[in-house]
Amino acid sequence: MWQFSHTRSLIFSQGMKKGCRYGTHRVTEPQGTLPQPALRLDNTMEIYDNEALIAVSTLNIDSASYTQIKQICGSDAEKMKAMILDIVSTRGKLQNPVTGSGGMLLGTIREIGPEFHNKSLKKGDKIATLVSLSLTPLKIYKINHLDPNSDQIDVEAEAILFDSGLFARLPDDIPEKLALAALDVAGAPAQVDRLVKEGDVVCIIGGGGKSGILCCYQAMKNAGPYGRVIVVEYAEANAQRIRDLRLATDVIVADATNVMDVYNKVKAITGERGCDVTINNVNVPSTEMTSILITKGQGCVYFFSMATSFTKAALGAEGVGKDINLIVGNGYAKGHADLTLNIIRESKPIRELFEKIYV
Amino acid sequence: MKKGSKYGIHRVIEPKGVLPQPANKIDNNMDEIYDNEILIDVQTLNIDSASFTQIEEQAGGNHAKIAEIMLDIVAKQGKHRNPVTGSGGMLLGTVEKIGDALKGKIDLKEGDRIATLVSLSLTPLRIDKIKEIRSDIDQVDIDGKAILFESGIYAKIPDDMPATLALSALDVAGAPAQTAKLVKPGDIVLIIGAGGKSGMLCCYEAKKRAGVTGKVIGLCHSERSTKRLIELGFCDYVFAADATQPVAVLEKIEELTNGHMADVTINNVNITDTEMTSILCTKNDGVVYFFSMATSFTKAALGAEGVGSDVTMIVGNGYTKGHAEITLQLLRESEKLRKVFTELYA
Repeated sequence: MWQFSHTRSLIFSQGMKKGCRYGTHRVTEPQGTLPQPALRLDNTMEIYDNEALIAVSTLNIDSASYTQIKQICGSDAEKMKAMILDIVSTRGKLQNPVTGSGGMLLGTIREIGPEFHNKSLKKGDKIATLVSLSLTPLKIYKINHLDPNSDQIDVEAEAILFDSGLFARLPDDIPEKLALAALDVAGAPAQVDRLVKEGDVVCIIGGGGKSGILCCYQAMKNAGPYGRVIVVEYAEANAQRIRDLRLATDVIVADATNVMDVYNKVKAITGERGCDVTINNVNVPSTEMTSILITKGQGCVYFFSMATSFTKAALGAEGVGKDINLIVGNGYAKGHADLTLNIIRESKPIRELFEKIYV
Repeated sequence: MKKGSKYGIHRVIEPKGVLPQPANKIDNNMDEIYDNEILIDVQTLNIDSASFTQIEEQAGGNHAKIAEIMLDIVAKQGKHRNPVTGSGGMLLGTVEKIGDALKGKIDLKEGDRIATLVSLSLTPLRIDKIKEIRSDIDQVDIDGKAILFESGIYAKIPDDMPATLALSALDVAGAPAQTAKLVKPGDIVLIIGAGGKSGMLCCYEAKKRAGVTGKVIGLCHSERSTKRLIELGFCDYVFAADATQPVAVLEKIEELTNGHMADVTINNVNITDTEMTSILCTKNDGVVYFFSMATSFTKAALGAEGVGSDVTMIVGNGYTKGHAEITLQLLRESEKLRKVFTELYA
């Protein structure tokens, strides 16, 4: 039985307090919420029986959050440091109060509670957390290095990983920062792996970006020689990259918000039937209808874009009488970190590209 | 006859290049129809409840003023899309004319009574006269005409039930039909917002599909709807709780399912901040179906990742094949359901 109330959490087990799987025992304000929406978390670095303590070396701050901090501080490194320290001391976590977002961290496991359910995790393991900093209890002792132009900052800090928290062990054969860049979008290719079957016609909207490239690779692999992978990309340079890397069978350069243009261009390739699976990776609003129209009846649209509007998708499909599955992109899928790191191992061109662009 | 686009793009006046729903103005000239359109002689408009509530408030409850606002919306846009809420509704009418390209190819003939199941927010409409406004059930009787596009969905009104009863159920037809597709024998199903119109239909359908080895749990909000759902007897367990409080609901579901959690969760509740409750109450590889229009995409996406849940989250699609037939059949099968719907909504 998990324990939720604070009175009950005072039961001691091996000298440690019992924690809730989701970390609700750390929420100090407002009571009854989960750590992510909470205003304030208890960041006392003394673990509950199902938590792990991490010695943090690097914080990879979410780009929206980092940009906001940089703007407010006029790109002054010292002011930015002060602002980050202030957020963490006020909230007990690095959740930007304006953007609401967090980021990820790199560190070494220092201590593990006896009830932490994943027994494969060992003291001394180097890990990246795959849950957001917006829900991770954090205490920063010192910021060693901050470059206003890089969203990775070096720190002396400690953090808590909840029992439900996701993490990836950093591999020996991939440099840390490259691994971190790939793990940041790990959910997308893993979901593609589940959705795309041999012979499928797949469309990836926004295929030229980081997660798009990984999705293309996985889609090509799953669809096989008789399948088709169509990429819709806004920027010609990105489109050329996809062609050069042979990550698609067809590349369309178009504005994804222009419904009829994309619809006609995709139809020219697929015929009236449309696509079996459409993956939307493009971070601009109003691409829901485009995704819906190019997908065949009984097909599936996977929305990875955080700019997706729930109502536009729901009412849009009904409006055109399309019986398709519209799925909310889940950043987590079982085994997603391994699958993503394997792509980096398997594909030399993708590895080289990521090293050039993201590291 | 002129050739039309399947999705009705030929009726869009401005802005050019968009579909009829987001368009600001569409052509509602009914003197001449395109070859793939259906002309409907309209009897009743079933205004979307958010839209009707807004219009009623703006009019201070005055019927003449409500009529004036409605006529103004249609005069400006050529369709009844509420400029504040963005929503439409459905209509009830008789098929007057079928375009040449569709004639004989669809299961409709002139004279059939139908309800359109696509939103009024994209349906070309002309109102000649507003005859009666029934504020309590958001229905307005009119003289007027409407156009159904080739991609538009509709349901024939059956002879064995009153049209208003059929209309009230068809309004939420997507929900029970999706429930029918998702729920397998033996499943544990949690229905959030189980006491409302679509919730009751979902509970009935879920129990039918889950069978004796399955379990249907209904979460209601008000005492009245909880009592009503218990009396209907569709669920194995009914309780009242605040769906915006994930921890309390999670504890309850843990207890009811012995820690197994729900295989399928259907969220029907039209209030914000119920995403986490839906995710946490569902087992790790289960399915959450969000029918609520108050669902936030980002709260659902980031929420699942935040708690490391591998659930499949589906955006409620108001349309699925056969949804009208499935929904009307429920009212025939269940005397209790029909009685409650007649009392509350017809």
